[in-house]
Amino acid sequence: MENTNPFHYEGELSWCPGCGDFQILKSVEKALTSLNKKPSEVVLVSGIGQAAKLPHYMKANGFNGLHGRALPPAFGIKSFNRDLTVLVTTGDGDCYGEGGNHLIHAIRRNIDITVIVHNNQVYGLTKGQASPTSEVGMVTKTQPFGVVSLPFNPIAFAIAMDTPFVARSYSKDIDFTADLIKQGIETKGFALIDILQPCVSFNKINTYQWYSQRAYKLDNNYDPTNRVKAFEKSLEWGDKIPIGVIYRSQRQTYDETLDRLGIKPQVNSQPDLSKVKSLLSEF
Amino acid sequence: MSFDISIKIAGQAGQGIQSIAEILLKVLKLNGLHVFAYQDYMSRVRGGHNFMQVRISDSPVYSIKEDCNILVALDTNSVDVHRNEVPKGGAIIYDPHSTMVDSPDNRFIPIPMNNLAKEVGSPILSNTISAGSILALLDINKMDAEEFVKKQFAKKGEEVIEKNLKALERGYLYFLENFRSWKFTDIKAQKNNKLIMINGSEAVGFGAIAGGCQFIAAYPMSPSTGVFTYITGKAKEFNIISEQAEDEIAAINMALGASFSGARAMTTTSGGGLSLMAEGLSLAGVMEAPVVVVNAQRPGPATGLATRTGQEDLEYVLHIGHGEFPRFVFAPGHPEEAFYTTIHAFNLSDKYQVPAFILIDQYFADTYATAKEFDLNKVKAISSQPSAFSNDYKRYQITKSGVSPRAYPMQGDFTFIADSHEHTENGHITEDGEVRNKMVEKRFRKLKGMQKEFGKPTYYYGDKLVPSSFKKGKAKTVFLAWGSNYGVVRETVDYLKKQKRSVAMLHFNRIYPFPRKEAIAFLKGAKEIITVENNYQGQFGNILKAETGIEVDGKILKYDGRPFTVEYILKRI
Repeated sequence: MENTNPFHYEGELSWCPGCGDFQILKSVEKALTSLNKKPSEVVLVSGIGQAAKLPHYMKANGFNGLHGRALPPAFGIKSFNRDLTVLVTTGDGDCYGEGGNHLIHAIRRNIDITVIVHNNQVYGLTKGQASPTSEVGMVTKTQPFGVVSLPFNPIAFAIAMDTPFVARSYSKDIDFTADLIKQGIETKGFALIDILQPCVSFNKINTYQWYSQRAYKLDNNYDPTNRVKAFEKSLEWGDKIPIGVIYRSQRQTYDETLDRLGIKPQVNSQPDLSKVKSLLSEF
Repeated sequence: MSFDISIKIAGQAGQGIQSIAEILLKVLKLNGLHVFAYQDYMSRVRGGHNFMQVRISDSPVYSIKEDCNILVALDTNSVDVHRNEVPKGGAIIYDPHSTMVDSPDNRFIPIPMNNLAKEVGSPILSNTISAGSILALLDINKMDAEEFVKKQFAKKGEEVIEKNLKALERGYLYFLENFRSWKFTDIKAQKNNKLIMINGSEAVGFGAIAGGCQFIAAYPMSPSTGVFTYITGKAKEFNIISEQAEDEIAAINMALGASFSGARAMTTTSGGGLSLMAEGLSLAGVMEAPVVVVNAQRPGPATGLATRTGQEDLEYVLHIGHGEFPRFVFAPGHPEEAFYTTIHAFNLSDKYQVPAFILIDQYFADTYATAKEFDLNKVKAISSQPSAFSNDYKRYQITKSGVSPRAYPMQGDFTFIADSHEHTENGHITEDGEVRNKMVEKRFRKLKGMQKEFGKPTYYYGDKLVPSSFKKGKAKTVFLAWGSNYGVVRETVDYLKKQKRSVAMLHFNRIYPFPRKEAIAFLKGAKEIITVENNYQGQFGNILKAETGIEVDGKILKYDGRPFTVEYILKRI
């Protein structure tokens, strides 16, 4: 399996040694390989941040855009070419902070993409400021008296938005994460996978040890289709943090709506001149 | 020009000004008459004071007039505001039961529109009654109006059609029965004159469709919404993905994503929304992503005058987006030019992989004008994307022209990255100074090709439009215009020509890359250069100076949110 990874990138990676991003990269490659995807039919979309560098570190198509703005281009890319497998690799700052508004509306649209959030509860690229998921009280250079704002709960939020696939993982468990990503890709519609990921340089609170002590896998009796139970589960945070598929639902995707309307433009196609002519008569 | 009539229909929002105007305009067009109609409206859905100005002639008309020959006043306020604009011999139509008129003179024509409407079935028909009376006053056969009513209300069923036909007849006959002696002017129909009637928004939208638009994402904002609405209305028929974005940031980034997938993509907005797009436009610059951006201007700063007109975003659009990157900026002068320009914008944005801006404004977007049928064979959608690539494909390959072959995903077995950082030929992040220089220079090398493309200025000298092959200007006084001021400056030139003045207009449709050579040639020898603009600073004059060193001698400016008139310009020469 390892030797036949077509997504492997031969080049330098600029993440800090020990960063959870390496594990997530492996999980993404594993998930895509297990689905027999070809690099040419995959697009990795990202904004800005450490997580957003991922498209440069894999052999696949990539759109590395602006901070907070990974979801809108992902919508444009996927809606125009629905044969593509579109993954968004983003972080807690990129997706829950700068781009929060887009997350609300991307879920509403339910375009068939998989969003992988590298959630390390801190800003890495800008060197250690609080992120939207940082714990209250965390002291940083820009929050010298400790974080005041309540951390964003992406799982509860996504359930409230009736997201088709909502999962949480812990980066250290590569196989488990790969499987969740695989399920996310297989899900029709929007999939949100929040991955807890230690930041070895700037987050001295949520460390490998911290996550390892708390993260536990949901057992087989857990029913992710029960929205109320899922909501209850999403509120569990502290001494125990559940990982796995927390919520699943089904509704029409944006892709299906376009298919139903017969809207599927082709690259390089010209407008039908006789139809254009008929518009003239309306004036 | 054997006749030139102006009509103002005034009242509150929601009173049906547009319904009356619509019947009138369509019927006049069917009679082969040239019309030009501008709507002045307030930012509210009900109440306030709105009016529609309709100018009619047997020759093409390009602007509105301050005075009007006929006023249709739908409320008392409208009489007070506009009665002095109607000269002797003009007509003021009003409803004597709902409109109070102090000392009506012989211009006043009372038509009990509401009562007549009730007689034929419902007060809602009073608009059709008014239209009937206006047509009778203009002595225009009502048969075309009947045809139009049948078409217009076809979906609403027989009963609605029947009632409207009755109302039309009642309004028409009431006028004839009571005011037969009113002889207004001789309007001769020119039935063999085949015209279309289109507003600026529709012309841009129609151009986008003819230009092969496949993806539009936008956020509604006056006065740009009309373009978005028009295209979206045709989305299914023309296989276009249309999405109302959550904000303008999303809109531009969605369009860039679609562009990455290979789409001909666009977005529409107005100043405030454009500001939100600034970073996305910079992204288009570094990613070299084709995208067409329509900016319908309104006066700012910030919310400014939401429903009014202005030309204040020119310098902004020339520079919008941090960093440096080339772009096209177009500002068409009339609907026909807007149609062709939009098709060119798609083709050129695709060919050079740069954003192409189309600057219009509220006046332009909302103004209806008749025109000869557009020639669909004149400009066609052309794709510049190569069809085959080798597997060592490089998205940002350094080339002599500056244009790298643009592929889209799944066009082969290769992969590629579009990147917001400075990047290598492969699209990967780089901080290498040498690569950086090469990339900046590559992007700017495109300008040489872009400069030669569509968009030479138009030199208007009397009733002649001099083609771009014309080597130099002839007039002593040259008025500069860009965008929507084409019409009003053209008519100013016509007027001054009749006074034997040596005048011309130089109208710029493409402002970037600036057509330097042509501007210098046409302005050489001019004794006086006057720029006419809807802004405070004379932005175009400043750009002309920066690009050519030529300084304007005078500026005629207007920034009250209302369009120019010939009268306004003449008073300031």
